[in-house]
Amino acid sequence: MKIMATIDLTLNIWRQKDNDSLGEFEIYQLNNISTDSSFLEMLDVLNEKLTREGKIPVAFDHDCREGICGMCGAVIDGVAHGPEKATTLCQLHMRNFSTGDTLVIEPFRSRAFPVKRDLMIDRSAFDRIIQSGGYVSTNTGGAIDGNSILIPSDKAELAMDAAACIGCGACVASCPNGAAMLFTGAKISQLCLLPQGAPERHSRALAMIDAMDKEGFGNCSNAKECEAVCPKSISIRNIARLNREYAKAAFLSETKK
Amino acid sequence: MDLNANIPSGPLAEKWDNHRFSSKLVNPANRRKFTVIIVGTGLAGASASATLAEQGYNVSTFCLQDSPRRAHSIAAQGGINAAKNYQNDGDSVFRLFYDTIKGGDFRSREANVYRLAQVSNNIIDQCVAQGVPFAREYGGTLANRSFGGAQVSRTFYARGQTGQQLLLGAYGALSRQIHSGKVKMYTRREMMDLVVVDGKARGIITRNMKNGELEKHHADAVILATGGYGNAYFLSTNAMSSNVTAAWRAYKHGAGFANPCFVQIHPTCIPVHGTYQSKLTLMSESLRNDGRVWVPVKAKDERKPADIPENERDYYLEKKYPSFGNLVPRDVASRNAKEQCDAGKGVGTTGLAVYLDFADAIKRDGGNTILKKYGNLFQMYEKITDTDPQKEPMMIYPAVHYTMGGLWVDYNLMTTIPGLFALGESNFSDHGANRLGASALMQGLADGYFIIGNTLANYFGSTELGTVCSDREEFGEAKHNVGDRIHKLLKNSYEGFKDHITVDDIHKKLGLLLWDNCGMARNKEDLSKALEELPKIRDEFWDRVYIPGKGNDLNQSLERAGRVADFLEFGEIMIRDALTREESCGCHLREESQTKEHEAKRDDQNYSHVAVWEYQGDDKEPLFHKEELTFENVTPSQRSYK
Amino acid sequence: MWIVRFFQSSIGKKMIMAFTGMLLFLFLCTHVMGNSTIYLGSSHFQHYADTLHSFPVIVYLFSISLLIIVSLHVGFGLNLYFKNREEGDSRYAVTKRVVENSLASRTMIFSGLFILVFLLVHVAGFTFRDEHEPISELVKELLGGFFYGSFYIIAFSVLGLHLSHGFWSMLQTFGVNHPRYNKLISSLSLFFSVFFFLFFAGIPLYFMTGLGSSY
Repeated sequence: MKIMATIDLTLNIWRQKDNDSLGEFEIYQLNNISTDSSFLEMLDVLNEKLTREGKIPVAFDHDCREGICGMCGAVIDGVAHGPEKATTLCQLHMRNFSTGDTLVIEPFRSRAFPVKRDLMIDRSAFDRIIQSGGYVSTNTGGAIDGNSILIPSDKAELAMDAAACIGCGACVASCPNGAAMLFTGAKISQLCLLPQGAPERHSRALAMIDAMDKEGFGNCSNAKECEAVCPKSISIRNIARLNREYAKAAFLSETKK
Repeated sequence: MDLNANIPSGPLAEKWDNHRFSSKLVNPANRRKFTVIIVGTGLAGASASATLAEQGYNVSTFCLQDSPRRAHSIAAQGGINAAKNYQNDGDSVFRLFYDTIKGGDFRSREANVYRLAQVSNNIIDQCVAQGVPFAREYGGTLANRSFGGAQVSRTFYARGQTGQQLLLGAYGALSRQIHSGKVKMYTRREMMDLVVVDGKARGIITRNMKNGELEKHHADAVILATGGYGNAYFLSTNAMSSNVTAAWRAYKHGAGFANPCFVQIHPTCIPVHGTYQSKLTLMSESLRNDGRVWVPVKAKDERKPADIPENERDYYLEKKYPSFGNLVPRDVASRNAKEQCDAGKGVGTTGLAVYLDFADAIKRDGGNTILKKYGNLFQMYEKITDTDPQKEPMMIYPAVHYTMGGLWVDYNLMTTIPGLFALGESNFSDHGANRLGASALMQGLADGYFIIGNTLANYFGSTELGTVCSDREEFGEAKHNVGDRIHKLLKNSYEGFKDHITVDDIHKKLGLLLWDNCGMARNKEDLSKALEELPKIRDEFWDRVYIPGKGNDLNQSLERAGRVADFLEFGEIMIRDALTREESCGCHLREESQTKEHEAKRDDQNYSHVAVWEYQGDDKEPLFHKEELTFENVTPSQRSYK
Repeated sequence: MWIVRFFQSSIGKKMIMAFTGMLLFLFLCTHVMGNSTIYLGSSHFQHYADTLHSFPVIVYLFSISLLIIVSLHVGFGLNLYFKNREEGDSRYAVTKRVVENSLASRTMIFSGLFILVFLLVHVAGFTFRDEHEPISELVKELLGGFFYGSFYIIAFSVLGLHLSHGFWSMLQTFGVNHPRYNKLISSLSLFFSVFFFLFFAGIPLYFMTGLGSSY
């Protein structure tokens, strides 16, 4: 039978009232954290402790806690979502740390992601990129039979690889330039790999890149950090595909502009 | 309370067509004169928002996450059912209908379920058209798998992320309408109250979670797609923010709440491992296809699983149910696991787990074959528990997963408040007393894409709706009440933390009370005790709970407190409902109603009805109503898995 | 206008970097071929230089194009650098790079600017030179010197570093990324870096070590 192991940690957490205020680090000592607990459960314990001390708990976004909703995320010791590969913060377990560790916990930072409070950020820029064209324009009803569009299984798998993006923003947070190319590339890849996305592929690429640039994201310099921290291991091959799609759209699209 | 289900006339297969033909329509040019509020952006809410906006209505959509893409539909793993019969294995609309109604243990409406089976095929077509990357065969056709013990392969899937892909499809459609200006999207908003004007639902009060501001929104109809209430149990597979508040506010304005005690408990979850635990993680049921469930024969056996010899292991499911073995339905598997643990045979540090052993399957098929089938689940398990299921048996335990109960709705998905509709998990309509695997996604999308568009037009076409603005006194009053309640919640917060308790302390207490007394197996004595216990917990909450921070500010503790306060009230009708239903059915066992072999015994004579609860006032007992269920096309049969 | 929109977009700018980078790479290839004659002896090298300069129009066109290409590459590179610096690495208290060997990608702007400085020195030394001295002798004189030669060797190692990220990055920007060829591409990146370093840095070494004394 396994005995529950615990660790003691020093947490250096970014506290910031809102986007207009200046933030600063605060230091907390937290003892007897079970190594079986997740990172967010560790923060829960901290917040219960702060509440009991009459202090204001640390605000952080989270929801499903099974690594799929994309709501959680913070930079732990300089790495988005912490040291374990292909893992969201909620699925990062405390056994990755040892007693006596000091963890520096910061929000995902980017010009396009203003801090709302503490570790909570505003990622609505991602939504606006999708709104500009990250879909197939089809109304409900009137769709043809699902099997009348044949899609080779390997194409469907490639599209699925890209579609797995959870929109957490770790790619932007880890990019030295704060670029959103992996996020945008994943959506464009998914739709350009599938026949359903073909009719709008040019207008989609132009519109989404336009929206992406307007939000103030940086430029990709192929540093590959995004791919390395992505909790869904989305490949930068999708960025290459995005580049191709955009170039094709810019030079070949039939629109006059 | 008028519980007329408004089932259309005619043969079962023609009801939906008949209904659509006899329904009133709204002229395309007139639709822009109507505004609709939709609360929630899961499969039901997002698909309804997109569809209604495409039709020309003005839609205001609300969600409490930072983006409409994050609702908990996203976490569904397995798949979505449809009666396409692509596999030529004898499936049909009628069979899907029959399986769903039988799976629900004959506690749902024939007409609703049949319609669900009918539109299931359109859902697949719609999602494919949106670019949902469903799994494909090598020839390019859609792939199917059999799921949750179904005898046909009718489940469509996108790896283990079907819910995510369907939701992102609906989110895409919604985003397109946001872009076109037909949908006004409000994120980080929590619905705090419903506004009823002249007996009709005409608006909501929301709290802007970014700054605590209370906002008034008016419309011609309000649609709730706010999901289930599994988080009443504190630990469940639901997302942290899933709550009953919106539905509960509707209930308090006179919407009937149906079958609140119908809660599905999923057998294969990763067990609880400590008091700090915040949620339970579900693993696909398919694991039971190859895993063998066992516990040590001796109680309190603390040896490592490998040290327990074969003859000291109790493969209780295989022994008890020789023909189904480890593949018995969810409720049977869950109940037996709890029984074993209650008898002291549970394993793991907490004693609240049973083994799911793959050793024999690995010996039989080889490690690679098993890994190919379950690799991602094994990985997930190892990530969370730090043990490798290939070397040591998995530990599993049941957890609250889905709530079949919800707001009572008629065939049009309208609650007992005119103009208030409920879609998806937040209504009660399609799953009876138990839900089949891969049917939740189907229902959410059926309601949103294919049903509400028709029935809402019928409501607008047949109802006199005056102009209502949010400066009416009903709105002011509702907003005032919400403000008062927040003030009341915060009353302990001005003195600092002294002899106080936190929101989670109370929530855990409530969860334990419900889990122990209103879980998989219930009896009159425990339920009555729980009903006495609950008000004490509620009082303790209001007396002693301490919420840091302010009301007019971003305050996550306050958000949680508001939800727990509603769970504390809601828990009461759950228990009452469980008390009143003196039969075993669907996913729960009533201990007084068992066969000689200790199997669940349903009582069609007395309980073939939907139990509906009507609010009477905070200090009064709720009123109990029945909607009798009639079965004209199927004959209720008793389940037997022996 | 679509072309303006293209060049203003983030991807358009990157494409210009990649395209000018590619042209500069091709120029390096021709340069390497020409310079290979040094290893054959001074007469061969002088002959090559004389032949080249007997087509002044070509030399003129090449020079002008190179000037434009270099200016675009440097200009857009600086523009992107300053734009990206608004975000900046320093936005975190702790910054840790997860990708191994990220030195080259992190230092592109610095290696690039160093190469620019080198280019100016190189052009000043060899293009705007005293016309009376034969180029074949000038090479030996300049590159045989310790400081001048060392500077060249350092510059070529920086060029190698620049290319080790640049070559791969160029193809990625053009959209060339395929699991089947990615290994080949990274091998090629390494190969070209080492190749250009060895070949170009070999020239000063050739003279400095005295191997080229019989040149």
